[in-house]
Amino acid sequence: MAGWFLKGVALGVKTTKYPRRAEQAPGVSPGLPRPTRFLDAAQAQEVASRCPTGALSASGSEVAVDARKCIHCYRCLRSDGAAMSWSDDYDWADVPESATGQGRPLGFEPRFRRSVNILVVDAGDCGACLNEIAQLAAPQYNLHRLGFFLTPTPRHADLLMVVGPVTDAMRYPLLAAYEAMPEPKRVMAVGTCALGGSVFGPSFIAGGGVAELLPVDVEVPGNPPPPLAILHALRVVSGQIRGARR
Amino acid sequence: MSLADGLLVLFFAFLGVAIIVTLVSSGRSGPLLMALFGAASGALLVAAGAVILAGGRPVDLSLWSIPGLGALHLALDPLSALFLIVAGLVFLPVSIFSAGYARRYEGRYSLKAMAVNSYALFASIALLLSTDSLLLFLLAWEGVALFSYLLVNFEHDHAPTRSAAYLFLVMAEAGTAAVVVAFMLLANGAHSFDFAEIRAAASSAGPGIRWAVFLLSFFGFGVKAGIVPVNAWLPRAHPAAPANVSAIMSGTVLNMGLYGILRTNGDLLPLTQVAPGVIVLLVGALSAIVGILYATTANDLKTMLAHSSIENIGIVVAGFGGAFVFAASGRGDLAAILVTAALYHMTNHSLYKSLLFMGAGSVDEAVGTRDLDRLGGLARWMPLTSIFFLAGALSIAAIPPFNGFVSEWLTFQGILRSAELASRAVQVAFVLAGACLALTAALAITCFVKAFAMGFLGVARSPEVRRARERPLITVFSLGIPAALCLLLGILPTYVIPALDRAARPVVVETSSAVELVPPFFAPPPYSGELPEGFVRDFHDIGAQVGQGLLPGRGLVVLHRGGPDRHVVFAMAPSYMILLLVLLGGGTYVVVRVASRSRSLRRARQWDGGLHRLPHELTYTATGFSNPVRVIFRGIFRPRTIEDLHETMSEHFRGPIRRQYEEVHVVTRLFVKPLTRSARWLSDNLARMHSGKINTYVGYVLITLAVFVVLAWFT
Repeated sequence: MAGWFLKGVALGVKTTKYPRRAEQAPGVSPGLPRPTRFLDAAQAQEVASRCPTGALSASGSEVAVDARKCIHCYRCLRSDGAAMSWSDDYDWADVPESATGQGRPLGFEPRFRRSVNILVVDAGDCGACLNEIAQLAAPQYNLHRLGFFLTPTPRHADLLMVVGPVTDAMRYPLLAAYEAMPEPKRVMAVGTCALGGSVFGPSFIAGGGVAELLPVDVEVPGNPPPPLAILHALRVVSGQIRGARR
Repeated sequence: MSLADGLLVLFFAFLGVAIIVTLVSSGRSGPLLMALFGAASGALLVAAGAVILAGGRPVDLSLWSIPGLGALHLALDPLSALFLIVAGLVFLPVSIFSAGYARRYEGRYSLKAMAVNSYALFASIALLLSTDSLLLFLLAWEGVALFSYLLVNFEHDHAPTRSAAYLFLVMAEAGTAAVVVAFMLLANGAHSFDFAEIRAAASSAGPGIRWAVFLLSFFGFGVKAGIVPVNAWLPRAHPAAPANVSAIMSGTVLNMGLYGILRTNGDLLPLTQVAPGVIVLLVGALSAIVGILYATTANDLKTMLAHSSIENIGIVVAGFGGAFVFAASGRGDLAAILVTAALYHMTNHSLYKSLLFMGAGSVDEAVGTRDLDRLGGLARWMPLTSIFFLAGALSIAAIPPFNGFVSEWLTFQGILRSAELASRAVQVAFVLAGACLALTAALAITCFVKAFAMGFLGVARSPEVRRARERPLITVFSLGIPAALCLLLGILPTYVIPALDRAARPVVVETSSAVELVPPFFAPPPYSGELPEGFVRDFHDIGAQVGQGLLPGRGLVVLHRGGPDRHVVFAMAPSYMILLLVLLGGGTYVVVRVASRSRSLRRARQWDGGLHRLPHELTYTATGFSNPVRVIFRGIFRPRTIEDLHETMSEHFRGPIRRQYEEVHVVTRLFVKPLTRSARWLSDNLARMHSGKINTYVGYVLITLAVFVVLAWFT
């Protein structure tokens, strides 16, 4: 009868040590290219042209990276010629300029420090980002230990987490959910699609990201972003740490 | 000639004039005349009854005498005065309502027929109540049945209406036959048809006669009252009849059955045994539970109300039964309480049921359907009608401060006093009946939450609802009268109960219960002469005298003065409850407003999951709401679902699927069906003796002759 208990004890704690110590497990993040200086402009041009989404842009011998567009295809890394340098970190969360420009201070709401309730809205997601968000509630990441809770109703939500490029059919429900949330409230765009539409938009069926509709406070790049990147963004939005500005 | 005499004679004369005027008047002014005459005659009747209940001299008017049958005269005692008041209170608003409602039949049916029939019905009801001779009683009883039949059969070109009305007539006449036999047994020893002489002669009747009279009169009158198992006509006649007729039927005609039961078994031949009382109690409780079960699952507003009438009459009859048992066991004080409670409930039922039927009629007229699954959201389009319907629904669901609560509370408390009875078996019967009534009360709330929520709240479930408009002011006004009365009877029972106590006087021998029920607690002292000291002391202990001298009137209903060590059994203060409710509600509002003064308020739309609009298919329906009841009690409902899945073209293509749901009423299944089956079996077997040959019949004659000769030889 106590088998499950003993088994559980024998298994030990599987939760990541993330906020206290960096998670070192291999493959925990797909990584992002780092801005790289090449030998000459031609080489930089060649590397930048390999990117299918236009995340890389060459100026002179330097190649700059727009993380918002990167889909981790590794074409800039795995090829016969020169390669971008790569980082395997996951603290990608970014606070966009617009978040500071709307009369709201960037220093986040002190009320959010202890607990944040999150409403996840699937605005036309392919399922990848949702999968990663679902992983957050699993024992390995266990977002509840940091004071984050998923809620099914906007009435209890402090944070609107949007995934997907915001298809036309989801525009109204997304706005309605935002309207229904009590003040103060924050919006987090998760994934490449939510940041700029990616391959889905702007098009006849979808818009070009959440920012077209709602004031986005925190952006999480990645296609999909790994759970730790989302966890990092959550810590940024709750004011536990400062967001990195790239 | 006293005041009440004059009013009664005036009433009959007035109705006669009304019938003549209606017959000669042009059709155009019909509805208006109906409202005027009906309301005026109703008011006259209420006045006549009120004069007697207030302590006036009972009516005793000698009419002409018929050779061989004796003198006929009118007499009104307080009991019939109460029934008269109730009938008048129903007729008054319903007549006004009819003026607007009857217009829908203009040109298709004869409005004159409706007016004349309802006047005649009214006159027969008044005659039935104000006579004290068996002959006039039976005549009036037949009049009630006949004119009710004509009114139910108003839309006579509908086949279902005709068959429903016919069913009503057949059952009413069968009931009358039983009543006639009971009266013949009663009048056997008396030399005239007068109630007084019958009463005197009947007191020496043997137990066999007593049982026969009880059974025949209880079930005979019970047909009109609609008790189980003779209730089959109610749920069919009400949906078929016009709404104003339903209101009259439910508000007055059912009461005539109750009047008959009470007059025969409480007054003419008071029950001296416990067993008949227990039967009445159990039949009442059974009617209540069966009625409310079917009401909860019915989706047609009027069918639902009809089933609910069976329930309410069941509660009243259970109260009568308890009173009969208490009276037969020598507890006249408890019997008086239960009769008072039952009469109170009957009055309440007449008021709120006529209100609800008129509301259902208004809805039917405005929307064109009574199906709760197709209504919804009417509060937006018919706000006043909704409020009055809500008042009726709250009353019938026994929610304070409305009247249903007071009478059901009294009935429950009265039945709980069965602990003081000696016999263990009778106590068990009381407990069973009490449990049934408790379940009934809970289901009644479910039922009327469903009726109001599905009919008047939520989203419109059909386009017709959105086109509905508020009825004309006069119709709404006629709904307001019973609604206001329901509220008044709910908050002022301390004034009503003494009057009801006076009405119960002919039935119950010992009646000082009004003093016990409604002690003058809030009136300034001295009242100590009227109340025993221990009683007053007990009240001081629970703080009931707070506000003494400040608050007017008698605010407290006390069930019963208990034993020497426990004086007060149960108490409630309905008049002050509403005061308290208002204070609490208003106080909460003020506190919330003050507390939230510094906070900003943002009003947002209700969260619907981000839908563009809420389609009515997604909302709760009446069927869905009542389905738990249907599932829990499926042993009683025994639904038969026929699914026809064979209409397929081939293996892969399914054609339309037919699903049929059949339900036979439990009383029909368990009582009527076996009866008809055995009657048919008997007649089939008897038919075999008819061979069609003349020789056989001559043989039968010969055998009969021989049998009689042999019999005569030996005797």
